Order: sequence, then C-alpha cells, then structure tokens
Amino acid sequence: MRSLLIRIFLSFWLIIAITIGIAAVTGFYYSERSRVAFENFEHGDTILEASVALDKNGREGLTHWLKNFPGSQSITIYVLDEKRRDILGRRIPPHITRMVSRHRRHLPPPGMGRHDPRNLRRARPLSQLVSADGQVYTLIVSPTRHPPYSGRMPVRSLLFVVALIVSGVVSYLLARAIANPIKKLRDATVSLADGNLEMRVGASVGKRRDELGMLARDFDSMADKLARAAAQQTELSQNISHELRSPLARMRVALELAKRKAGDLSEFDRIDAEAERLDKLIGQILHYTRLDSNPQKEPVQINIGDLIREVADNVNYECKSDGIDGVSVEASFDASPTMHGYADALISAVENILRNAVRHSPPNGAVYIRLSQEDATARIEILDQGEGVDDSDLPRLFEPFYRTKEAPDTGTGLGLAIAERAIQLNGGEVSAHNLTDGGLRVTIKLPMS
Amino acid sequence: MNRDYLSTNVILIDDDRELGVMLTDFLRPDRLELTVCGSGEDGLACLASGDFDLVILDIMLPGISGLDALKQIRRTSDVPVIMLTARGDDVDRIIGLEFGADDYLAKPFNPRELVARIKAILRRSHREAPESDQLKLGEIELRPRTRRASVGDDALRLTGTEFEILRCLLETPGEVVSKEQLSERALGRRLLPYDRSIDTHISNLRGKLEQAGNHKESIQNQRGVGYLLIPGE
Repeated sequence: MRSLLIRIFLSFWLIIAITIGIAAVTGFYYSERSRVAFENFEHGDTILEASVALDKNGREGLTHWLKNFPGSQSITIYVLDEKRRDILGRRIPPHITRMVSRHRRHLPPPGMGRHDPRNLRRARPLSQLVSADGQVYTLIVSPTRHPPYSGRMPVRSLLFVVALIVSGVVSYLLARAIANPIKKLRDATVSLADGNLEMRVGASVGKRRDELGMLARDFDSMADKLARAAAQQTELSQNISHELRSPLARMRVALELAKRKAGDLSEFDRIDAEAERLDKLIGQILHYTRLDSNPQKEPVQINIGDLIREVADNVNYECKSDGIDGVSVEASFDASPTMHGYADALISAVENILRNAVRHSPPNGAVYIRLSQEDATARIEILDQGEGVDDSDLPRLFEPFYRTKEAPDTGTGLGLAIAERAIQLNGGEVSAHNLTDGGLRVTIKLPMS
Repeated sequence: MNRDYLSTNVILIDDDRELGVMLTDFLRPDRLELTVCGSGEDGLACLASGDFDLVILDIMLPGISGLDALKQIRRTSDVPVIMLTARGDDVDRIIGLEFGADDYLAKPFNPRELVARIKAILRRSHREAPESDQLKLGEIELRPRTRRASVGDDALRLTGTEFEILRCLLETPGEVVSKEQLSERALGRRLLPYDRSIDTHISNLRGKLEQAGNHKESIQNQRGVGYLLIPGE
C-alpha cells in the first residue's frame, strides 16, 4: 500500500469496526435467544406437569420428570427441596440461592426488591409445590448462564487464545513495519550528526513507497547538500589560506631583500611583526571555523595531566623564545583524570587560555595551572596575576574579537573563542571569574571517561 | 670537500613565480643557485634531467599535488626535501614527513629561516665522515662513510634524516637520546614547540626496519625524554 496514512487509518478502522460488529452480533444473538426461550416457555403448563408427577410418584416422580424435561438450552429448571438443595443434586448458582432465601423472608417478589440494583431484570417465575407427605418443593426457572457454566469451555478458551495470538501478531507486524524504518532513519541521523557525511538510507528505507520512503529520500538529499557544503567549506578555507598567505610570503621575502639594500630599519621589524601577526590571525580564523564545521579526527583516550604538562612546557618555551619578561607557567596536579575526546582541540584550548594568561601577566609573574577532579568531572583552573577584567566584560570574554578596554593589542582576539569551542566540542564548559586579590581564574570542566 | 666555494643547486617547485624570482635573488649571496619550476610535472622533469642537492616542494600545486610529487621523487632518489606547508594545517604539515620529506616550513616563512634550514640539511649531508667506519647492532649495519645501511644482507633505503637518526641511536645503544639532540643532529635545528618531526621520522624508521625483517632490535619512546634503541636478546 502506498500511503502510511491510509495503511494505519484502514488498519485501525477495520479492527475497531470488526470488534464492534462481533460484539453487537453476539450480544444480540444471546439476548434474543433467551428472550425467545422465555417467551415460548409455558410456565403454567410446566407447573401442572410437575405437580402431576409429584402427586403420582412423589419425589421420585418429580425427579424423573425433571430429568426428562425437554426444555431448551437457554432455560434451566431447578427444583429445590426444603433444605434448598436441587433434587438432581446440581450446584445451585448463588443468585438463585439468594432469590429463594429472600422469598422466604417475605420480601418483595424476586428480582424486584427496592434495594436490588438489578431490579430491572426480568422477574423469574418462582412456584412452590407441596407433595402428599407435606414436603415443599420450590421450582425455579432461570436462563442458562452460558459461558462460565457451559460444558464447552476448552473450545472457547482455545478460540480465545488463537484470537489473542493472531491479533497480537498482526498488531506486532504493523508496529514493526512502522518502527523499523524509523529506527534506521534515527541511526542514520545520529551517524550523520556525528560527522559521517557519507551516511545514506536510499538503499534501505528509501525503497519504500510510503511517507517513510519519502522521508528517507529527503534525508539523503539533505545529507548530499551537507556533504557538498562541508566539502565546499574545506575547499574555501584552503583557498583563503593559500590566497591570503601567498602575498604574505612574497612580502616577507621582499622585506628581507629591502633590508639588505637599505640596512636594518626599525620599521622593517615592525612590518615583519605585522606580517607574522596577520599570518597568525589567518591561521586562527581557519582554526576557529574548522572547529565548528568540519568533522574532527577520531576521538581518543586522553590523559589530561600529560596533555597539560606538554602544553605548559611548550608555552614556557614560547615565553623564553619570545622574550616575555620572565613569566613562567607552573602546573600542579591533584588528580590524574582521563577522558575520551579530541586531543588536538583540547590542546589548542589549554594553549590559548595559557597564552592569554601569560600575555596579561606582570613581568616575572607566574601563571598557575591546576588539575583536579570532582566525581566524574575533571577541572582545570588557570590563574594569572594580571589585572583581571571588568565584571561587565566577563560574560563576553569568550566571544570572537571581543576586547576589554585595557587589553594589550597583541592577541588575535580569537584565542579564547577557539578555547571555548574546542572545550564545547569535548563536551565540557569554560568560565572566567575575577580573583579577589587581582588576576583572572579560568575554569574548564570536562566530562571524564 | 670544499663545498663552501662551490654553489649548491637547489630546486624550488612552487606555482608562485614571483616568489620564486625573489627567492632566487635572496639565496644567491649564500651561494644557493635556485631553479624554479611552476608545477609538479615540470619539477619532476627538471629533477630527472639535472643534478640537485636539495628540493624545496610546495604542498599546494596545480596538477599533481606536492605529496604525489614527493612520493614520485622518493621512488628513485634520496635527495633532501623541504616541504612548504600551510600553517595551522596539522595534517598536511606532518603528512609530508610521513612520505619521506626531511623537514618542513610553514608558509609564509621568514626567508632567513629557509636559508638556515637548507644549510642545516646540506651541512649534515656533507659532514666529514667520522672515525668509526661501521656501526653495527644485531643485524643492523650502518656505513656512514658511504651512507649505506643494511639489515642482514638486505640494503635499507633511508632518507638522509632517517639515516642520521639511526646513526645517533646506534652510537649509544640502550641509552636514551633526547629529542632535542636528535633534532640538532639530524635536522640541524632546535626542537620547536609541538614539533612532531622527530616522532614522525622515528615512526618511518621503525616501519622500514620492520619491513626489512628486523624484529629483534626496537626503537622505544621514553615519554617526555627521547628515544633509545634496545638491543635484541
């Protein structure tokens, strides 16, 4: 069938219609049968026959008559003696026992008691016969209660079980026909979101001709567009990188040639430094866009302590070689947590925050980096001895190109923004606070594995 | 070997012609004669027809890529290669070394840095042969004078950088050689922050030793310190 809507609609409609139909037909059939039986039952004649049998042969005669009473399947006649036991020794249904005892107590006619909630039911004929030896027999005519008291129980339970199984199987198949492709689509969506841009469902779910098939084909065309956009972006980044850096490369060679001819002017050093900064900025912009859009390399197991040691060593090395006045990074470790994540991104995050702290440190200052853990969270704190920032600047510190008023004009303006994205990519969060005695504390929280 | 009085032939394979012209001017006072080729195909043809002491290869080229050109060069020649890469592209930066480049420099570079790298590699290539003519450990054998390496009877084809690293490790088997030392000796330059060059060269070297059938001696990493060659049992 083509449409899922029609399939579900028809299935439910059909099932409900069939259920209602069967219930109505059987209900009507049973009530009609007992009504006809009651209507055709000649009560007076029966009593007469019974009393004749009782008169002729006493209790035995009555028993014989009752045994051979032709009657119908829908009507059962009980004859109770004074001890309220059926003369054929049948079990008396409780409602009849109640009826008889009420009659004895001279209550209103059976089935019409004021407090009986069932007083709208058909009043059942109840007659008494007295034998020659003074025994009183009560004759009760009652509709046969079919299902529970019927002798055909095994057949009925079997039918019931078969019906249950068949309807169960049909319902399961319908549910599975809907849920299976949805699960496949969901798995594909998760896989795509995880960066597997090759994921397609056209060969499996896409072959269906219903709405789910259409959804699958739409999913594929969306994935195509995503993959194309990602490829275009990578290409664009490479082109930007190439096109912006080629003139810079020529500029630096030209600058060195100029130095040879004109001698070492301080302006040349400035041009050189600016060219280098421009190159760094291009690198940072590319890095920032790549963190967000492109799938990263496979996540790996990371020993956060080792990673911090390596980055701290490298930043210390940079401080020395860049001639930053005696600033040093000091690392301390209260725990050795590990996590599953993207090592390169985490390195660039810690590195950018450390560089930022070093840049804002006073001469001969120290930057402290501390690693600790709480429950399943690794916590990295980076503290500097700089001026801190205005409280109003704190929330915007991690925005790209945001600068505080006091900031020295040396960074690219992207370091902290890269750090935040890289940490988010690793499922963590980063925040900044002013220390009471000056300086800034940046806290990174990362989920441990 | 008075190389200092002769000019050295260097080939630059880069599609930026103007950069090539300026670099030619810049390198001449250092007695480095630059030949510029604008594409990988031209470069390979030039290399096949001439005698060059060093190749500078841009990773981004029209036509065949810098990496493909490098693979083709390595099929026939052990000439030292410096790759020009884009900064911030970690994958590209390291991948050149994995395919046998000796060193890399992120573009845009300071041309003085380029001269320093070229000279470091050339110095290493033309270093006077040391006293010891032969270094041997287990089946690994090095002959520094003729720059030949072998495992058992099989010759081992190493790039200049790999040869120097193996030589450093063979001189003191069982002792750790720091990455700084290896960088100074094999690349002729300081180790830089985040510098993975030595690690990549070591990984190439391990692969080549294993491929040549050497499983007894192994190069091990001493975390944070350096590398050492462990003699076999």
